[in-house]
Amino acid sequence: MGATMEHRDAEISPDPVIEAYKKDLDLSLLIENQKLTVEQRFLKLMQMQRLAAELRRAGQSARGES
Amino acid sequence: MTDIAALLGLLSSAGVEFILVGGAAATAHGSARLTQDVDIVYARSAENIQRIVRALSRASPYLRGAPPGLPFRWDSRTLERGLNFTLTTSLGDLDLLGGITGGGSYADLLPHTLRLHVFGVECPCLDLETLIRVKRAAGRPRDLEAVAELEAILELRRKQR
Repeated sequence: MGATMEHRDAEISPDPVIEAYKKDLDLSLLIENQKLTVEQRFLKLMQMQRLAAELRRAGQSARGES
Repeated sequence: MTDIAALLGLLSSAGVEFILVGGAAATAHGSARLTQDVDIVYARSAENIQRIVRALSRASPYLRGAPPGLPFRWDSRTLERGLNFTLTTSLGDLDLLGGITGGGSYADLLPHTLRLHVFGVECPCLDLETLIRVKRAAGRPRDLEAVAELEAILELRRKQR
């Protein structure tokens, strides 16, 4: 997993609506993701997509949809 | 599922000038949100359009959500006539964007990218600060939570320094 990324950050002014959304974030997920390489993050996303597709298929099957 | 590795590989190996933006770029920065497609901003030069057409022709591109059987021709002329294309391909969903709100064109965005070395290829990805700015500029309600998450990532990085 040789993915690398450099970080360039600068000031972004706070927005009260966005600040309100931040209160409900699960920071533990973000902290764990920061430990991964970019490639590992993409692989994790593709796993999530596969799971979501399988759950959609199972839901349709349970409802008797084709 | 969108095969991000294959899509990036296809575009990079064809020499396509593109920048990864949107949800996949957010994932690259550490977002935990599920996104289904890959969004790229592409250079609108005639040469680059030809590269895109050649690269994606192997992946059976078609207009996403459109009924089957439309007279959609995947060629340079089609791309030159349009700007943004939401496509379904054999590798997954891909959005080709000629530009984005608050960010502009490929040339405008290129100075605000970092180089990802991933899946054996190198591709430019919008930097975190610019990704936040363009998502804020888009002003879509569904982006608010995504922006909050990206800003939280920015704050985490600052604390880690």
